[in-house]
Amino acid sequence: MRSPRIPLTIAAAAAASLVLASCGGGAEDDGATTGTLDFYTNKAAWEPDFDELNATSESGADITLDTTGYSDAAQYDAFIKQSFRTDKSPGLFTWQTGPSLNELVEEDLIAQTTDIWTKAVDEGWVSPDLRDSYTIDGEQYCVPMNIAYWVMYYNKAIFDEQGIAEPTTWAELDAAAAQLADAGITPYYQTSTLFTFQWFQQLVAGTDPELYNGLATGEVKYTDPEIVDIMNTWLDQEEAGWFSDAGSTVDPAVGLKQGDYAMINFGSFFNGSLDGAGMVSGEDYDMFVIPAVNEGLEKTPVAVESGPLCVAENSSQKSLGLAYSEWWMSPEAQTAWSAARGDVAFNPQATVADPMLEELGTTVTGEGYELYDRYYEATPTPILTVALEQFGAFIANPSDPVPFLEAIQAEADDYWADQE
Amino acid sequence: MTDKTLSPKALRQRDQYRWSALGFIAPGVLIVAVLLYLPLLWTTFLSLTEYNGLGDPEWTGLANYVEMFDDPGFIGSVLNTLLWVGGTLLVPVGIGLGVALLTWNLKGGTWLRLPFLIPYALSGIGVGVIWSFILSGDGALDQALAAFGIADTPRWLVDAPLNTVVMILATAWQGVGVNALLFTIGLQSIPREPLEAARMDGANGMRLFRSILWPMLRPLTAVVVGLSIVASLKTFDIVQGMTKGGPGRDSETLALTMYKETFVNSEYGLGSAIAVFLTVVTLIASILYLRQQLSSKHGV
Repeated sequence: MRSPRIPLTIAAAAAASLVLASCGGGAEDDGATTGTLDFYTNKAAWEPDFDELNATSESGADITLDTTGYSDAAQYDAFIKQSFRTDKSPGLFTWQTGPSLNELVEEDLIAQTTDIWTKAVDEGWVSPDLRDSYTIDGEQYCVPMNIAYWVMYYNKAIFDEQGIAEPTTWAELDAAAAQLADAGITPYYQTSTLFTFQWFQQLVAGTDPELYNGLATGEVKYTDPEIVDIMNTWLDQEEAGWFSDAGSTVDPAVGLKQGDYAMINFGSFFNGSLDGAGMVSGEDYDMFVIPAVNEGLEKTPVAVESGPLCVAENSSQKSLGLAYSEWWMSPEAQTAWSAARGDVAFNPQATVADPMLEELGTTVTGEGYELYDRYYEATPTPILTVALEQFGAFIANPSDPVPFLEAIQAEADDYWADQE
Repeated sequence: MTDKTLSPKALRQRDQYRWSALGFIAPGVLIVAVLLYLPLLWTTFLSLTEYNGLGDPEWTGLANYVEMFDDPGFIGSVLNTLLWVGGTLLVPVGIGLGVALLTWNLKGGTWLRLPFLIPYALSGIGVGVIWSFILSGDGALDQALAAFGIADTPRWLVDAPLNTVVMILATAWQGVGVNALLFTIGLQSIPREPLEAARMDGANGMRLFRSILWPMLRPLTAVVVGLSIVASLKTFDIVQGMTKGGPGRDSETLALTMYKETFVNSEYGLGSAIAVFLTVVTLIASILYLRQQLSSKHGV
């Protein structure tokens, strides 16, 4: 017998579930400002560092983090987005600045931190420049979890052997690379997955910071002649054999240690990886700020990456998350964090454990340098995804850059058309 | 039996029986509806909207499908997926059949088949990690070849379509054993009489295979090939583990494109459109294939 009731039951159940699924979530803030705070992060590898910090936060703010780390960024993003629909939206979580943060703020999903920033700036705990990355429509959201400057790490033994000093101009850097290549040593590390953008970022911002900003806002096209020229410079360097095997799966820190290449352009969090690979800071490896391509620039542009710690507006732990955020900005918290993580501190009053990182922080925030947002955060996600793929394809098979740039621009055209 | 032949009491009993039957199956139906039908309906609905995972989906009709077919990267994914379908039929299924044929009648054949089964215990991602070590630019294979003086090796995971071909071979490494096992079961279930009769008539080797074994294996071949087609259409884990679809989008499959659009780009509508396309293609391929293979004219 074919009963009409079964399809009807299915339809009714499906309809009821659709209604349930479309209901928004959220919970009332319980108002607590001390206790255990549920914290979610896409930096699973940093979980022990956050746990280590609990000893300081328990005495300083009476708050303990209960950390859940995700190692897959895409899975993590989907989890956080879905959590806003439930009553389990996180009291504290890590995210990205730039368009990704704007997207959440537009939907009123993030708690404001304007008061926390005002106090921190007044106390001299953070530079007003950094506040700009956290400001949307005049208000602040989230606080900086970490800060990293993108610099050039190098293997000291190789530089010493070759008699190469830290380059202070682009011409000196080129000369060093050419000398290394002549000696049979690959000058630079590269990879064709994920971290494919940094050399492009370095070349564009170092040539003209306005051009770099224009790419992020859509005013400059990837197919503009200035960008094509820059890519051709990169192509010349690829053809000269200045970059490592893109298909290698050797850990980048291990590669630098064993001399697979002499230099690697990475964020200042890379000290932790190099230390982990058994290299000693200042003895086996060192770093320098990459000189601007265009020597006529008044200030040397330095890419900065800052990952935010955010509080969900509809979290039951909103007050607790904000209390932790306020404590997090303090010199006490940042000194402890720098010791735990081995990273530069955004708070100038904090004590940085590694002297090399302390010097870097002082240098790049001083005269003669200007900070710009890293390409990864500055670029809208759909354009970024295509750009990372296309730079990866270019790195794997260096050839006429125009088709790669056209593919990125096609996505950029779609994206900016949607924004109008 | 019709209603007219039943007494009123029997009719009442039958109705009661039907209601209680419905009561018993309702929980199961509800679970199937919520866990299987609802996601399908929801995904189909999302494919007709623009949705970034936040706020509410915005109805855009067929725009995602138009965008999907306009994207050269999507067409590349379709072609790579077809390569996977063809490749996994030729290699793991073909070699699996070969292993089964060569070992099923041998004393100790089980021990010969066993090593092929061991990799089946691994996950696709695990297989991907292992083969990445072997095939990467300075990996085990290149080092082994260098030991024999062969230095100018291909870039296994970088150049397309070579990267897809080597990933199919990695899948074959894992999949041959289970296919061999299934074919062996099929071979062992063939009745002795026709085989012996054929042998007495002088049929051996290829002749025996073509005229007796292959036709009698048909029901099992249909299942193995059908499963292989479905599995290859949704290939994801090994590609994600080895190349992440790169370089560029050179080795992307449909499942990877769906994942990237949905979870990396937060284009839930476009990702859902690809999911719907993949589901429809898989359904059509399965129905057409199984209908053709299992139709009554083949006596099954």
